[in-house]
Amino acid sequence: MTTIRPFTCEDMLKFNNVNLDPLTETYGLSFYTQYLAHWPEYFQVAESPSGEIMGYIMGKAEGHGENWHGHVTALTVSPYYRRLGIAATLMKLLEDESEKKNAYFVDLFVRVSNKVAIDMYKNLGYIVYRTVLEYYSGEQRDENAYDMRKACSRDVEKKSVIPVTHPVRPEDVD
Amino acid sequence: MAVQPLRAYDGGIIERRLRPIYDWLDNGNNKTALQEAEKVLRKTPSLQAARALKALALLRLGKTKQCFAILDDLVKEIPSDDITLQAMTISFRESHQLHKVCEIYEAAVKVAQSEDLYTHMFMSYVRIGDHCSQTRTAMALYKLTPKNPYYFWAVMSNVLQAQTAVDSTKKGILLTLAQRMVENFIEEKKMEAEQEARLYIMILKMQEKWEKILDFIESPLYEKLVPGSRAQACIPYLIQLGQWRRLNLLCKDLLWDNQDRWDYYMPYFDSVFNLKDNPDIDIDSNVDDTPEKCHEFICSIIESLPSGRPLRGPYLARLELWKRLSKDGDPTSLLGSGLALCVQYLTVFANKMCAIPDLKPYLCILPQSEREEHCRDFLTCLGLDENSKVESPSDIQRHCNCLSAWRLTAPIGSAEEDLKIATILKDHYIRCVADCLVTSTPTEFCAADTYAILAAHHFYAAAVQDKNPLHILEALHILELVTNRSPSNFHAKLLLISLYNFLGITEAAEWIYDKMDVKHIQLVSLGWLHVARLAPGLWLQRALKRVTAACSFHEHHDRDSVEQVTYAYKFGTFEKVVEVRAWSARIQACAWAALCKRERALLSLVVNPWLQQEQLLPPPHPLPEQPTDNRDLNAIVNWLPTGNTEQQKNNSFQQDVAYLRLKDGLLSCLVLCKECADSKSLEEKSNRLKELRSCVDAFGDALDKCRELCTDEPLSVAAPLPSRLLALVRSPISYRELYSSAVLMLGEVCAGSEPEAAVDRLRSALTASRSQLQERAQPQLWENRDALEFYANYLECIGVITYLLGMCHTPDLKKSKKKEKRSPEQIRTIIEALRQLNDELQETITTLIQIFENWPRFGDLAGSRTFTTNCFSGSFNSAVCSKIKQGIVGVMRDTVTILEKKIEYLKSLPASSQVSHQV
Repeated sequence: MTTIRPFTCEDMLKFNNVNLDPLTETYGLSFYTQYLAHWPEYFQVAESPSGEIMGYIMGKAEGHGENWHGHVTALTVSPYYRRLGIAATLMKLLEDESEKKNAYFVDLFVRVSNKVAIDMYKNLGYIVYRTVLEYYSGEQRDENAYDMRKACSRDVEKKSVIPVTHPVRPEDVD
Repeated sequence: MAVQPLRAYDGGIIERRLRPIYDWLDNGNNKTALQEAEKVLRKTPSLQAARALKALALLRLGKTKQCFAILDDLVKEIPSDDITLQAMTISFRESHQLHKVCEIYEAAVKVAQSEDLYTHMFMSYVRIGDHCSQTRTAMALYKLTPKNPYYFWAVMSNVLQAQTAVDSTKKGILLTLAQRMVENFIEEKKMEAEQEARLYIMILKMQEKWEKILDFIESPLYEKLVPGSRAQACIPYLIQLGQWRRLNLLCKDLLWDNQDRWDYYMPYFDSVFNLKDNPDIDIDSNVDDTPEKCHEFICSIIESLPSGRPLRGPYLARLELWKRLSKDGDPTSLLGSGLALCVQYLTVFANKMCAIPDLKPYLCILPQSEREEHCRDFLTCLGLDENSKVESPSDIQRHCNCLSAWRLTAPIGSAEEDLKIATILKDHYIRCVADCLVTSTPTEFCAADTYAILAAHHFYAAAVQDKNPLHILEALHILELVTNRSPSNFHAKLLLISLYNFLGITEAAEWIYDKMDVKHIQLVSLGWLHVARLAPGLWLQRALKRVTAACSFHEHHDRDSVEQVTYAYKFGTFEKVVEVRAWSARIQACAWAALCKRERALLSLVVNPWLQQEQLLPPPHPLPEQPTDNRDLNAIVNWLPTGNTEQQKNNSFQQDVAYLRLKDGLLSCLVLCKECADSKSLEEKSNRLKELRSCVDAFGDALDKCRELCTDEPLSVAAPLPSRLLALVRSPISYRELYSSAVLMLGEVCAGSEPEAAVDRLRSALTASRSQLQERAQPQLWENRDALEFYANYLECIGVITYLLGMCHTPDLKKSKKKEKRSPEQIRTIIEALRQLNDELQETITTLIQIFENWPRFGDLAGSRTFTTNCFSGSFNSAVCSKIKQGIVGVMRDTVTILEKKIEYLKSLPASSQVSHQV
């Protein structure tokens, strides 16, 4: 049971029930407002009937030529509202938006340890495109990320989702 | 702020020479940047860009005078190259002279017209909110470079002019103009972006031209610009126009494809109930115009769904129908009892964590007697009861949801009942731990955690009724265990923070808070939970650190927010221009931020041993006219049917704002004191003294008046603790007398009049207050929080008095005395009075030190109850009791150190003989 609506600035005051999750990053204010100003259509929230934030997605469109793609910057769902298909609904929104923008693919980064998320993305049709070494900095040690991708209909030959076998450094990610 | 130019500069040589200056500036090495700039200027002394960068380096080094001299010269030369202008822009921005940025670009475009210059000029007007000049600049820009965005910048600027116009005629004209500008574009087939279409709708919306909006949404142009969103976009305007039949059919269509979309159910219900109240005989049979048809529709949706994975949408829709029907009638004939519907919902969705948040709004509106009478139906609807020992994670989830729904519907129990159920729940949790049923991951909660969290709520309820801290300790123990086993469960952590602060054990709360990595906007929305409790918990040093961090966040936002609006223009997201502006205004007016700025100044006085007058922090900006409430009071999960009511939220906010005004009044007095001491002429001083007197009176009156606001709200574990206003205003210590005599003492000394009376008043107020101090010493654990707050308020006052007494001994002051030509005898009298005050103050501080050194450690608690640690064979030791003990020891050690340094400082003040010698 969901209301899907654009994320607004005021949502930042009540997203604690989502953002206090240890793997959800809380960014500086301007990070959110820049996304809102630049890609408002990519920044959507799923709201419960009682007005709670159940989850949200923020993303952007970037790249040149055949690298023109939609990117998921953050996708998070409150622990109270998991396994209800909310993440899938939000991902579908971002994918549809990327289709409208004629993107070649959608990509995202995920911690290699986050098995629940990786499995979910795989179920949604994403593949592990490559490994990015030490992408996430941690207190004790840095963690690798999977760069996962799904081709859009424009990429007829699915060239964007041919996995790269060797891992890359974060600075080599374009 | 990065200084690098946005685009490479044409002159390669110059760019190469300037590059190191940019690099040093961006790295924060302003000194080297300055040297580098001077090096470049030795070769090319007139190079404007290098001079502008030199000015910036100087500004950042604090050499504002030299910086402004260079900028003034540059302004006269009317620079028109990008690098110089941008460097100057940064200097002006960082020195809060935004209007000067507009001026340099206005001058520049007169000598060299370019798209870039006009763009920067437009943004410079955005930063100062001059919408009229924005329009003019955008049109000039469009004339120069006919690109759509520039045209729409002009349209948007007109909209903002209209929005801020007070005169309704002017508003109307501006909106008509904006509308016509867009329509001209539509006619000329020049409209090309989604955001342009949205701006057009925004303009029509502001004029309430709903029909026109609908026409536009239904036009091919809209479909081309915003493909695939027509149906949804129509909904708000069909509601505005009361086109209920169309709305009804539209929502039904949408719902058939999206059975779980609440934003379609709600307008659907609006349409049904409006059609019901205004029947139409010609109505299409497909239109649902009665609750019966509506119910049938919902049932058909439920039936159409594949079995096995029920969707919450239609089930909740049935509850919503019940809710709407019960507003003005009896829904039972159609739907049966609401209670049965709620139980049915729980039966179907009890395996989901969301079942309770989903149900809560409906449980709250069930008739209280019915709800309470049948509360056990929720507990037993799945064949379970409070004693059931379920084994699988999904059964645990179901059990917890039944228990939660029971808690939400049952009558408020006695302490004994709460304790009984709390113990059962605690045992369930411990059993789950022992049976390895607590299987959380770094990202997932564990279903069994709810046993413990619910138990903590019941323990809390019992504790509040019995005023017995041991029940709180039980809650803390079980929650510590949860955070140990389910580290990702932030609800347990929030509760722990709340409960440790409830007992006034701020150090233990701080330890958990620190691990939660609360930052950025969370410093605003969660400030009430912990940071606001540090100072009243007497951990002043840490309070200062935390409020300083909150202030930095706000200061950064104040600098940054105006830039955010420019981004919205840059990307043509006009709706966000309005939203981001409103948001920035809201955060700028944040009540908590305003309090933090004042607390920072006041806490500095208390914490720092010998703060000299020149060190008094600069006065914060004036209080916002209407401070905004940005607290997230839903952060802590709540299991009471009523939750935090709006009324309670408002009351606590009003009290907080009153407290903020008091703190502002106090700080204003201190700022005036400083000005009084700094004033050169006697006339100036006596004017300041007059101001000071009225400021002190206003502060005192406000203190008295605040008593009216002091209503006691019921304590709730999920709500903020009682406002600090209460402890301050209700204190038996007369803060009015202490503060006003202290402030007047300084004023009188400065102004050259007779301060003896004020000094005497202050001394007797201090003596009187000292007799009150012992009453709160040696509190029981239950009173610990209140007692600490009592002393925290007193300590703040002592900090202020020490500061003011210190100011009475500054060299400035002696000069003024000389000018006053007081007789040596008079001076001796004054100095003797000050010495006596100093002695009194030292004695008071010594008393405080003794109280804090003998503060109970509550060490005997450990053996008073068998806690969870002994109940199972696990190796966990929650150490709640030692955390409490250490927390007290740590905070008291810090406080005593602060006070000892205060005494040291007071002793260092010139003794009477020395001063009289100097005088």
